[in-house]
Amino acid sequence: MTPSQIRFFALLRREVNRFMKIKRQTIGAPMLETFLYISVFGAALGSRIDKLHGVDYVVFIVPGLIMMAWAMNAFSNNASSILQQKFQRAIDDQLSSPASPLQLLLAFTFGGFLRGMLIASLTFVAASLLVDIPIEHPVVLVAALFLVGFFFAQFGVLVGVRAEQFDDVSFYQTFMLTPLIFLGGVFYSASLLPEPFQTLTYFDPVYYMIGLVRYGFLGYSELNVAVALGALLLAALLLFAANYRLFSKGYRLRA
Amino acid sequence: MRAVDALEIKELVKRYPTGTEALKGVSLKIEAGEFFGLLGPNGAGKSTLIHCATGLAQPTSGEIRVFGHDAVHHYQEARVAVGLAPQDLNLDFFLTVSESLDYHGGYFGMPKKERRERTKELLEAFSLTEKRDDRTRTLSGGMKRRLILARALMHRPRLLILDEPTAGVDVELRLELWHYVQRINAEGTTILLTTHYLEEAEQLCNKIAFINGGEIVAEGTSGELASQYGVRSLEDAYLELVGRNELSRAQIGAEAG
Repeated sequence: MTPSQIRFFALLRREVNRFMKIKRQTIGAPMLETFLYISVFGAALGSRIDKLHGVDYVVFIVPGLIMMAWAMNAFSNNASSILQQKFQRAIDDQLSSPASPLQLLLAFTFGGFLRGMLIASLTFVAASLLVDIPIEHPVVLVAALFLVGFFFAQFGVLVGVRAEQFDDVSFYQTFMLTPLIFLGGVFYSASLLPEPFQTLTYFDPVYYMIGLVRYGFLGYSELNVAVALGALLLAALLLFAANYRLFSKGYRLRA
Repeated sequence: MRAVDALEIKELVKRYPTGTEALKGVSLKIEAGEFFGLLGPNGAGKSTLIHCATGLAQPTSGEIRVFGHDAVHHYQEARVAVGLAPQDLNLDFFLTVSESLDYHGGYFGMPKKERRERTKELLEAFSLTEKRDDRTRTLSGGMKRRLILARALMHRPRLLILDEPTAGVDVELRLELWHYVQRINAEGTTILLTTHYLEEAEQLCNKIAFINGGEIVAEGTSGELASQYGVRSLEDAYLELVGRNELSRAQIGAEAG
């Protein structure tokens, strides 16, 4: 390995090591949450709900739960990790190293991305043991999940860098992410909503993300898959470019 | 040909977005092998200068070279050459003692085998071997201080920057740290030390600069500084610098006598 590769892997190992050391909070809690959603909405209520778009209700909600797990964990991991390190000033150890702004950005990004991937995979395995989950379009599925994970990992980095206190992180999580994800249709199909809520849903970017992931699993879609995928790619790249600019300038990291 | 300077700073200005000018055109040279002391009151610009040299702050204008490498434009070469033991005990709470060293070595591009050997060596040198698997959060203040210094030395920097390394440290540890840094200086590492303990600077440094209000106001050996201010000791020179010569022990003693 070149010194540059060693650097990048050390930065990334630090991020993975952090969440692996606090597994109860970073892996246990989100797994329990997903299990509760599946049991309450899927098993308990689901038996009273008709099939949606030809699949059982519990199967219908699993793709959204998997996407939600990836998105939420990618976001909160990165936002918390960066803010904690800024608080302790431990981040100075990385910042005064020869690591480039791009290496720092990517290492922070992939920390949360990997945590999201781990929890999404565990959710998928657990759900597969309970019910039969089809995978109709694996390529779209993987592309959509990777882009969603990357997007929210970037968003977490952005919030972590900007944040000055823990309240800033929980603000975005509670007042922005959670409503957008829930109202994006994790637990229902937007086509069932009355107006104006159906139209309002179309302004929620997460609606398209859930739509893509659901299409990948169930093969059913309310949206133009190619356009949605393109838009998601563009959004992820724009956010990455914005973060890269902040890291290059040292915004709120270097005085 | 003269050897390249360990640190060369020219006309360094640092203005914060708030408008505060922490450094007002500082120029400074530290020759390779020197043990250099930077003294000044709180808020004089010591830490800002150190942060500019290590990438933690971005200079507004001016030039910084570490062993000839521009610290802004060729920061990778410059930063490899510097080890920083900051004033704050900024250890990563999630890591153990040996992980703190290992990751730091990784950030500086050291291969695994070398990291393992160097970690072992430093844990021994700083009496931290028994604590190697403990989380940094659980260490005592003195142990944290030792680990900070070990971490700064991990990648074998040619210039070691010590920002108030003995603040709040007991007598034994202070002497221990002195012996250690004197030894590595004798072995060739250049050292830049900031401290509020004047006897520490006198003991250790072969050259001292006074910084005040973001400017270097005097430079020389401890004796030269005293004679520049027309006084007898470094402490009196310092008191002249900060305009508090009424506190001079020599003067108080003379009056009492």
